[in-house]
Amino acid sequence: MAGAGGGGCPAGGNDLQWCFSQVKGAVDEDVAEADVISTVEFSHSGDLLATGDKGGRVVIFQREQENKSRPHSRGEYNVYSTFQSHEPEFDYLKSLEIEEKINKIRWLPQQSAAHFLLSTNDKTIKLWKISERDKRAEGYNLKDEDGRLRDPFRITALRVPILKPMDLMVEASPRRIFANAHTYHINSISVNSDHETYLSADDLRINLWHLEITDRSFNIVDIKPANMEELTEVITAAEFHPHQCNVLVYSSSKGTIRLCDMRSSALCDRHSKFFEEPEDPSSRSFFSEIISSVSDVKFSHSGRYMMTRDYLSVKVWDLNMESRPVETHQVHEYLRSKLCSLYENDCIFDKFECCWNGSDSAIMTGSYNNFFRMFDRTTWRDVTLEASRENSKPRASLKPRRVCAGGKRKKDEVSVDSLDFSKKILHTAWHPAENIIAVAATNNLYIFQDKAN
Amino acid sequence: MEVQKEAQRIMTLSVWKMYHSRMQRGGLRLHRSLQLSLVMRSARELYLSAKVEAQEPEVPLPPARSPDPYLHPPREAEAAAEAAPSDGEQPSPEPMDTQEAPRAEETPARCAQRPAKVSRKRRSCSLSDGGDAALVPSKKARLEEEEEEERASSDVLDRLQPPPAQAEGAFPNLARVLQRRFSGLLNCSPAAPPTATPACEAKPACRPPDNMLNVLVRAVVAF
Repeated sequence: MAGAGGGGCPAGGNDLQWCFSQVKGAVDEDVAEADVISTVEFSHSGDLLATGDKGGRVVIFQREQENKSRPHSRGEYNVYSTFQSHEPEFDYLKSLEIEEKINKIRWLPQQSAAHFLLSTNDKTIKLWKISERDKRAEGYNLKDEDGRLRDPFRITALRVPILKPMDLMVEASPRRIFANAHTYHINSISVNSDHETYLSADDLRINLWHLEITDRSFNIVDIKPANMEELTEVITAAEFHPHQCNVLVYSSSKGTIRLCDMRSSALCDRHSKFFEEPEDPSSRSFFSEIISSVSDVKFSHSGRYMMTRDYLSVKVWDLNMESRPVETHQVHEYLRSKLCSLYENDCIFDKFECCWNGSDSAIMTGSYNNFFRMFDRTTWRDVTLEASRENSKPRASLKPRRVCAGGKRKKDEVSVDSLDFSKKILHTAWHPAENIIAVAATNNLYIFQDKAN
Repeated sequence: MEVQKEAQRIMTLSVWKMYHSRMQRGGLRLHRSLQLSLVMRSARELYLSAKVEAQEPEVPLPPARSPDPYLHPPREAEAAAEAAPSDGEQPSPEPMDTQEAPRAEETPARCAQRPAKVSRKRRSCSLSDGGDAALVPSKKARLEEEEEEERASSDVLDRLQPPPAQAEGAFPNLARVLQRRFSGLLNCSPAAPPTATPACEAKPACRPPDNMLNVLVRAVVAF
C-alpha cells in the first residue's frame, strides 16, 4: 500500500506532501445549480470514482492504466460514463416536488466484469449497472442490420450470428428501482457486508432492502413518535459495519450515535450501544443543538472505530467505549464566535462529510473557503489545505493554509473575516488503498495525490 | 438589554426561515424545521428570562404568588403570558395554541367565511399595547390608519395562509406540532393560570411576552 503507515499530513519533513493532480468541471464563475457536486465515492478497488450532482447526474471517472509513453498520466482519472440517474418528479398526492439531486452513491463490491452502484435522491434508490461493450452481434436471421424484420419468404438459409468488434461503449442501465418506502428525505444508503442487502435511512426511519427485491423492504428502525409533538431528534446518517453484517449505526441530530444489532431483534428500535459525550454547559448557546448534530458517520475500514462529524469538530469513537470519543479534532473552531452570522446565512445547516484513509491512520473532512482538513491520528498533526485553481499546475505541491482567529495576522494567514462561506467542501473521498483524494468544491472535482504516488 | 435584543433578533430570523422553508424545492425538511424550532425555543427562553430579570427590581413580586419565583423566572413570565388573554378583550377558556392551530390549517374557503376582523382586532390590540411590535415592524406602522391596517392584515393573512397543497404532505401536523411545542412550554409552567392571573394584574409588565408569543405562534402556525 502506498504511503503505508502514513496517509498522514504534510505538516512535517517526513510526512506526505500532497500535490495537485487534476481538476474536473467548468471554470466559469457563475455556477449552474445543477452542476454542484452533491456526493463523491471511490469504488472498492479505487479504480473508479463516482460523483453525483444536484442535477441528478452521475459521472464516473476511471483511472488510467500505467502508460510508459506518458509516465505522468498514471493515476489520472478520466470520464468513463455519464448518465442521468434521477429526474425531477412530482408527487401528485402530496403536491410536492421531488428534487433530482443525488444525495448518496454507494458502490457494490465488484463480482463480474460489470460494476454496480446504488444512487439515491430524497425518495428513490436506484441500482445501476455500468458495463462495457466492445462487440456487437451481426447476422441475425429474422432482422437485417438496421433492425428491420426481414421478409420470411426471402430467408432461404439459417445462419449463426457472429460477434464483430466495435468501438468501446460504456453502458449504464437501471437494474432495480426501490421506490415508495420513505416518507421523509433519504439521507444515507449503505451496502451490507453480506453483499445482498442494504439499508436506506431517512429522517425518522431506516429500511432494510434486498438488492434483488424492489417491492418490499423491512423497517428496522423507526423513531417517529406516536405524537409528532414529542419529536426531539431525527436520524442524520446511518451505516453498516464493514465486516459484521448484523451491526449498523445511526447518528442523530442530538449528537448521539446508536449501534444496533439485528441479531437481538428484527426491530432495532432499542439500541445495543449508545455513544454520547456529555455536553459542556459552559459552551451552551442558541445554536448548541444545531452544531452538535452529527452530519456524517463512517466506520473505519477495520471496523474497530467510527468517526462522526458535527459542525465544528470531527470525533473518533472506539466501538468499545460509549462514554466519550477517543479523539476529538477541531475542524474550524474559529467559527464558534461567528455562529450567529452562520445562522443568518444558513451555513450552520451545512452537512459536512468525513472519510478515512486506507489504513485508518488519517481522516479528512471539509471546511469553508475551499479549505479541507486532514488529521493524522498517530502524530496528532493536522493540516489545512486548499482546493484552488490558482495552484493547479500538475504536481504542484499544496501549501498548508492557516486561518488567523484573532490578534495580529501573520503573513500567509487568512483572517476569519475574509473566508468565503460560499465556497465550501462538503464531500470528500479517500482512495481505499492509496493516497489519492477527491475533493468536491462546488461544481469542481479536485484530485490530489501524494508526491511519491 | 443587549441579550434581549439579540434573542429577539434571532427569534425574528427563525420565524422568517421557517416561513421560507415552506417554499423550498423538495418540500419541508424535517431536520431543518426541528433545528429552527430548537433555536427559536432557546432564544425565546433567553428573551423571557432576560425580560423578567430586567423587570424584577422595579416591581416586587407578591410573596404569596409562588414558592420561589426566582428559581424559575422564565416560567413565571410564561405563566403570566398564558393568563394574559383572560384579562384582555376576549375570555379564552383554552390555551391559545389550541385556539390558533385550527385556524392555520383551514382551507382558504373556510377562512373566507370567517369574519377576518376578529383576528385582526385581536392582533392589533395585542400589538398596540405591547412593547414587542418591533418583531413585526411593518404591521405596527400600519396600525395608525384603520383602512391601511385592514388591508395590511388581510395581506398578512394571505401570506401566512399555507396553500392547502403545501400545508399537508409529509408533515401533516408539523405546523401544529411546532406551535404546540412552544405553547407546551407555557402549559408545563408550574404556576397554574388562576394563581398567575392576580400576578399579572399586579405586574402589568408581564403583558409584553404575551404579545411576542402571539406573533411567534402565528408565524409558526403559518409555517
